Amino acid sequence: MSQLKDPIREGLARGWKVMGGALPPAPETLSCDVAIIGSGAGAGITAELLAKAGLQVVIVEEGPLKTSSDFNQKESEAYPSLYQESAARKTEDKAINILQGRCVGGSTTVNWTSSFRTPGSTLKFWQERFGLDGYTTEALAPYFAEAEQRLNITPWLVPPNENNDLLRRGAAKLGIPASAISRNVKGCWNLGSCGLGCPTNAKQSMLVTTIPAALDKGAQLLTETRAEKFELANGKVTALLCRSLGTPGTAGGAIRIVAKHYVLAGGAINSPAVLLRSQAPDPHGMLGTRTFLHPVVMSSSVFEQKVEAWNGAPQTIYSDHFLETQAIDGPIGYKLEAPPLHPVIFASTVPGFGQGQHDLLKSFPYNHTLLALLRDGFHDESKGGQVKLRSDNSAVLDYPLTDYVMEGGRRALLSMMEIQFAAGAKQVLPLHEMAQPYTSWTQARDAVNALPMKPLLTRVVSAHVMGGCGLAGTERQGVTRPDGVHWQLENLSIHDGSLFPTSIGANPQLSIYGMVNRLAQGLAARLSGRGVTLT
Amino acid sequence: MQRRTLLKLGAASAAVLLVAGGTAALLQPGLAGGALSASGREVFSAVGRAVLDKTLPADEGARQIALNGLLSRIDVLVQSLPPHAQAELSQLLALLASAAGRRALAGLNQPWQEASVTDIQQSLQDMRLSRLALRQQAYAALHDITAGAYFSDPASWALLGYPGPMKI
Repeated sequence: MSQLKDPIREGLARGWKVMGGALPPAPETLSCDVAIIGSGAGAGITAELLAKAGLQVVIVEEGPLKTSSDFNQKESEAYPSLYQESAARKTEDKAINILQGRCVGGSTTVNWTSSFRTPGSTLKFWQERFGLDGYTTEALAPYFAEAEQRLNITPWLVPPNENNDLLRRGAAKLGIPASAISRNVKGCWNLGSCGLGCPTNAKQSMLVTTIPAALDKGAQLLTETRAEKFELANGKVTALLCRSLGTPGTAGGAIRIVAKHYVLAGGAINSPAVLLRSQAPDPHGMLGTRTFLHPVVMSSSVFEQKVEAWNGAPQTIYSDHFLETQAIDGPIGYKLEAPPLHPVIFASTVPGFGQGQHDLLKSFPYNHTLLALLRDGFHDESKGGQVKLRSDNSAVLDYPLTDYVMEGGRRALLSMMEIQFAAGAKQVLPLHEMAQPYTSWTQARDAVNALPMKPLLTRVVSAHVMGGCGLAGTERQGVTRPDGVHWQLENLSIHDGSLFPTSIGANPQLSIYGMVNRLAQGLAARLSGRGVTLT
Repeated sequence: MQRRTLLKLGAASAAVLLVAGGTAALLQPGLAGGALSASGREVFSAVGRAVLDKTLPADEGARQIALNGLLSRIDVLVQSLPPHAQAELSQLLALLASAAGRRALAGLNQPWQEASVTDIQQSLQDMRLSRLALRQQAYAALHDITAGAYFSDPASWALLGYPGPMKI
C-alpha cells in the first residue's frame, strides 16, 4: 500500500458527502438541482462547474471509490475493481475486447494520460456532415486551453522510455514524423502504472481534480450505485431510478432521484443503454447507433536489448503520419502509439500455446508492441456499432468489423512491422492467429499481405468508446443538440464521449474535457444565471 | 435471467449437439456458486496442461500444484465477471464437458482427463482456425482466461523476467 498522502481519504475525513459501497448507504429518495450519471471525464468537468455555480449536484457512479491507498499496481486487483466487466468487456461477437473504466473517475482513473485536442480535420467533417457549425478549432480553443490548465496537460519533457523511443527511432529511420504526447500529470514518478490507478496521485484524473472540487463545494457522490433508467413524462425527465449494488447476488436498494436537470455521462456504451432502458423517444432511430471504437490492431516485436515496456511513462511518442497523408473519408487512417505491457495483459495477448507461446512469454523484457488506432466513422463502410440491451437489461455493443476497417488493419500491421524492423527488431509478430514470428521485413510483409484479415483471427481491442448519442445540427441526424441537450428531452444533457458523431482520430480524453467544458459552462449559466470556468 | 444469451449460445450449441447426437438436457453447468464446477475444473485443468505445457513446472508434483493454483485464480476471475458473462462461460464449459459437445466443439475424442497434451493442443488449434465463430470464440475464451489467470500470480512472474511493480 502506498505511504503517500491520499487526498480522497482526507476529503472523506473532512466530511464529504459520499455514500454507497462500504460508506453509509444513500437514502431511498434524493432531490437536487442536477443529477449527473457517471464520474468520468465528462461527468467530472460538469460536476465541478455546476457546483461552482452554486447548484446542488448529485453524482451517481456504478463503480467503487478506490484511491491511491488502494492502488498497488497489480493487475489482479485493478482489473476487477476499476474496469468494466473486469477489463474483459467484449463486443457482441467477442471479436473486440474493450477496456473502459468503472470506478470513481471513470476511464480517467485508469487511462494512460495521452492528451490531444480534437484534430481540425475531424471537426471540419462534423461541420460539413453533421451541421455542427459551432464546433470549430477556433471556437473550442479557449475551452481546451482551460481544461489543459486545470488538468496540468503539458508536453512531457522527460526522455521517453525505450518502448516509446523505439517508435521514435524506427519512424525516423523511415522518414516518418513522430512527436511527443502531452500528458495530464503533475509531479509524475515515471512509474508506468497509469493503467492500474495512479499510486502517487500524479495523474490529474477526475478522481483527484474535479470530483474533489465538486465534493468540497457540497456535491453528493453515490458510489456502487447503478443508474437504471429515467422516468419520463411530457418531453421531460421526471426522475432517475437507481439501484445500490450491494453484495453480488443480493437485490440492493432502490434509490429515486428527482432533479431539475439531468446529465448523462456514463460513457459511450452505458449512456445509450440508460436511454434504451428508459424507452426514451428516438423518432429517427439514432439512439445507440454510430458507436465507434478506434479498433486497435497490434504488432509485437522482440529486441536484443531490454525494453521493459512496463517501466516508465506509457505512450509518450506517437505518429499521425498515416492519418494525415490521406483523405479523411478515403481508406481508413490510423494513429500509431506504443502501449505499456504488464504480465496479465501481455500473457493473455500472446497468441497460441506450447513452445511458441513459451518463447514469446520469456521475451517479455525484450518485447516492444506497437498499436494502431483505426479512425472509424468517416466512410460509408465504417458506420460503427449499435448499443443494445441483453434480456437482463445490461448493455452490449454489436460492432461489425467490415472489410474496409480490416483492410486498414492490414496496412497498419505492415506500417508497424516496418517501423519495428527499422528500429532494430530481431523478430516481429503481428497479432493474428495465423501469423508466425518473422525475422525480416520482406518475409513479414509477404506473410501479412496473404493473411485473411477477419474478426476473431485478427486480435482487435479498443480503449476508446465514442458515439451512440451523437451531436447533430438537426434531429434527424443525431440524438443530441449542439448545446448538449437531448433533442427530445428538454431537461436532459449528454456530456460524455457518446456525443461524438464519429471517432476522434486521437485518444479522446481531452476532446471530452474541452467540449464538455463548453457545454457545462452553458448549462451552468442557463440553470444558475452565473458564469463559471474551470480556472 | 440471461434468456437471450442462453438462447443465442443455446441455438448454436444445440446445432452442434444435434450433429453430435447429444442432448442439451444432460449438460452440467460449468460454474456453480460463482466458481468452477467439477466439470468446469476438468476442462480448465486439461486446457491449462495444454496451453501452458512448456511453462508449467516439469516435475509432475509441482505441475499439479501449479495447475491447482491456476484453477483457484480462475475461480477468482469468474467471481469478478458480470452475470451475463458468467452465464455464457458456464454454458461453454458445460458443453465442452459433455462427450457430445467435446467432440463437436473441440473435436476431441477422448475425455479431457485422458487426452494427451498433443491431442488437446491439436483440438485447440482446430478451434482457433475454425470457420465456425462459436469454436473460435471458445478457443479465445479458454486461451485468454488460462494465460491471464496464470500470470496474475506474482509467483509466475520470474518466468517472464518481470520484477514486479516498483515499491513506493
